[in-house]
Amino acid sequence: MATINAAITLSSDITSSATGFTKTMTMTKAGTTTGLEFSSGLISRKYTSTTEVDLVVSGAQLYGTPTATTNANKLYIKNTGSSSTDYVTIGIGTATQTQEIDDNTSNNHIGRLYGGDWLLIPFHGVATNGDITIQPSTAEVTTVEWMLFFE
Amino acid sequence: MATTTSTLSLTSPDLTGDALALSVSKICYKGGTTVGLDQSTGLTRAYLTATTSIDIFPVVKGTTNAAETGKVYIANLSEDETEFLIVSLANSVIGRLYAGDFLWMPWTPQAQHLSDIEIVPSVATGMVVEYMAVHNFANIYPTSADS
Repeated sequence: MATINAAITLSSDITSSATGFTKTMTMTKAGTTTGLEFSSGLISRKYTSTTEVDLVVSGAQLYGTPTATTNANKLYIKNTGSSSTDYVTIGIGTATQTQEIDDNTSNNHIGRLYGGDWLLIPFHGVATNGDITIQPSTAEVTTVEWMLFFE
Repeated sequence: MATTTSTLSLTSPDLTGDALALSVSKICYKGGTTVGLDQSTGLTRAYLTATTSIDIFPVVKGTTNAAETGKVYIANLSEDETEFLIVSLANSVIGRLYAGDFLWMPWTPQAQHLSDIEIVPSVATGMVVEYMAVHNFANIYPTSADS
């Protein structure tokens, strides 16, 4: 097993009294205190089209055997650009499908990552519709880094 | 303008042959601008005692905020490693947050029922969770209605 630590610190002056917190976690396998063992490595990808494609593809033999009902995988993604107007839309599902509410065969857009934005989410990875999708807002070169930690 | 900064640190001494040390920090801006997000739900701490799905961030009816970008934080504060939250975007499961896990992600609430953020505790014996949205949306939780 490996020891993988993540910490988020949030500071804000949105409210009249400044607020902030730090939360740490050690990434463990589902239902255990044993650390996650595997990683995709830090992957860098360049996109030059506004076509929606799969960023992280789920499925057997790729990131371990899919165990959608039990896994505690984690996914980090960052838009490494610096633009405040260009972004990538991150979704879950299948890139070739249209957006639907929840038919479990389409895809659903989570949100946008502008230049410098990042996310850290659990990765469900169910084989049929658990891909993480990406759609750049521009055909200019857009670079995204991502890293998957998995069981 | 308000300034909200999110910083992430990812470290591991033994995941690979070389130690992992990654750090990223970013000010949370309104979509397409360098103006800081200026609204917050506050950091909610809740004690959940049912395994039913709840919308912690429902979407106001229509597409009022369809082009906006907020940020969402959710954490499972349970200390029992077997307990988890299932986090979904409507019925699209994002994944599980086990005890001590957190997530941070963008959120573009395109439409009611399509973009609601929902959680389902794995146990009814009581689970403490935290969640917060930083945003510039009109009529978001807790004033929006969902069904």
